[in-house]
Formats: sequence, structure tokens, C-alpha cells
Amino acid sequence: MQGKNPYTWSGFSLLITGIMLSLPAFFIFHLVWLTALGICMLIMSFILLSLGKAIPNIPPEVCGLLLETGIDNIATLIEELGIKTRAIYLPSSLASDRPRAFIPLHSNGSHPRITKALPQRLIARYGTDPEDIGLLISTIGSTATSMLESKPGANPYELESALTSLFTGRLGVADGTSVVLHNNHITIEIKNPRLEHSADWSHHCLGGPLATIVASVAAEAWDKPITIEHEEQLGGKYCIELEVIS
Amino acid sequence: MRIYNNYILTVAALLLITTIILIATEQNSMDVFYSVYVIEALIVTELYVYFNKKSRRGLNLVGTVLFGGFVVVLCFQVFKAFI
Repeated sequence: MQGKNPYTWSGFSLLITGIMLSLPAFFIFHLVWLTALGICMLIMSFILLSLGKAIPNIPPEVCGLLLETGIDNIATLIEELGIKTRAIYLPSSLASDRPRAFIPLHSNGSHPRITKALPQRLIARYGTDPEDIGLLISTIGSTATSMLESKPGANPYELESALTSLFTGRLGVADGTSVVLHNNHITIEIKNPRLEHSADWSHHCLGGPLATIVASVAAEAWDKPITIEHEEQLGGKYCIELEVIS
Repeated sequence: MRIYNNYILTVAALLLITTIILIATEQNSMDVFYSVYVIEALIVTELYVYFNKKSRRGLNLVGTVLFGGFVVVLCFQVFKAFI
């Protein structure tokens, strides 16, 4: 029974109690209400046992540690290099295998023009100019995108559905999302986010964890590079504004 | 995990409230109790559309088993009505 989660334990407990309650109540005592309660327990036990199999065995604390370590390493790298430009989230078609964040090392104010897939290297060149280089890194969004059952289409409805499925169903970090599209700007509102947003240097460059996931999914959906223009916490909502780079 | 907890609490609360209501209305048929429970559990499961594929597969199996029981109850009632 090693590795069983609380859902499985609760399921087994309810299964045993349900059988012990409903059978004597029905056949010996002839009590309908007690039999009904026993059946309720049996139904709940089936549900809990089926959910127990679907939940990963890794405790959330371990996941938190892995996430924090990964973010710390990227933050150290970015701070040491003194990068101030905002990351560009590339779809898998421009980042070789999966959506990644590209941070140009030099910027003249305009977004770099990336037309072909960048090589899978930390330091990647996107143009012929000596200054046309940047860092190509994986973010939480790169991994989160692989959790989607299918690639969303380039419209706000499919993006909203994909993000809600990811945040609410898979990751459990928010209660829902809403997406609004204005020309090449996408505004995403995340309801009741449960991931904290810090205001350090790397967050200014890459965006917060939720914004990173949103930008990666949107880049994959539109199949175009995307940047995070703005993000802020407003009460129980987290607003993110993205720009699709044409 | 939060969505799973919400789902479990919703189903449990709904089943308990149904039990109280049916007992208060002096319902004595186990068939009615079981049928209402199964219908409620299936509806709530369908409403939670954002479960992942693995959870959905497990819950579909539970739904099939519960629906099988419901069909058996229905067959017994039809059989009784004709005899």
C-alpha cells in the first residue's frame, strides 16, 4: 500500500464502511435510510478510488521546491548578465522542439525579427549582425504547454478553454480565465490565482510564473512570437496583456 | 488538487441533501434512492469538464458501473409492472 494518496485511503475506508453499513441495514434491520447512507458511501468510495489513481504521487511541496530551484537558477543567470530586455515567447515552430523564451542580449527598442527556427542552444543567433544573439531558455510555460491535450487555435475562445483547463484542471493554481483579443493585443484575466508574483529583475524580464505559462500557450496557439506587455494583480484577479509580434 | 476536492465535496453534499429530502418525504423505495443518486453523480461529473484525461477515464468507468446498476433497477421495475 506504499505510495497511496489520501483519496485512495478515504476510498477504501468508505468502501468498507459502506458495505458494513448497507448490507446489515438492508437484510437484517430493514432500515431504508441507513441502507441509503451506505449506498452514498459506496458511490463516494468508487469516485475517490478512481480519482486516487489519477493524482500524481509527488507531494506538492516537492513540486514547489523544484519550481523554486528552477526559477532561482534562471534569475541568477539573467541578473549576472545584466539583461534588461523583455523576453519574447517563441512557438515550437521557431524554437525547434517546444515553446521557449528568447531574451535578446542587445536591444534597440524594437522587437528582433525571428523568421526561422532557432537552434536548441542556450546562446542562439537570430540574425547576421554580430549583436543578433540572445538566450533561448525553457520556462515553466514550455513544460506546461506539453500538458495540453491538443494545441489551441488562434482565437480567444480556444485560448480561454486551454488556459482554464490547464490552470483549473491540471495545475490547480486558479479558478478560471477570460481572454479578450484586440487586434494584436491579448488581454487575459486569471481569477483567484494561487501563485505569488514577485517584482525582482528576472520577473521583469521573463514575467511571473502565470504570465510565462499564458505567453507560452498563446505563442503556440497563434504560432507567432509573443511578448508580455504588462501584468498586474488586481484584488482577486491577475491581468496579463500580451502582444503578438507580426 | 483543488478542483478534485470541490468535486468530491459537491457530490457528497448533494447525496446527503438528497438522502435527507427523500427521508423527509417518507420515501421507502431503495430503487428511487439509488436512481436519484446515480443521476446526480452523473450530472455533477459531466459539469466538471476540466478534469484531466486520466481522471475523466476513471470517472467514466465509475459512471458506467453506476449506470449499469441503474439499468438493472429499471429492468426490475419494468419486469414487475408486466407481471
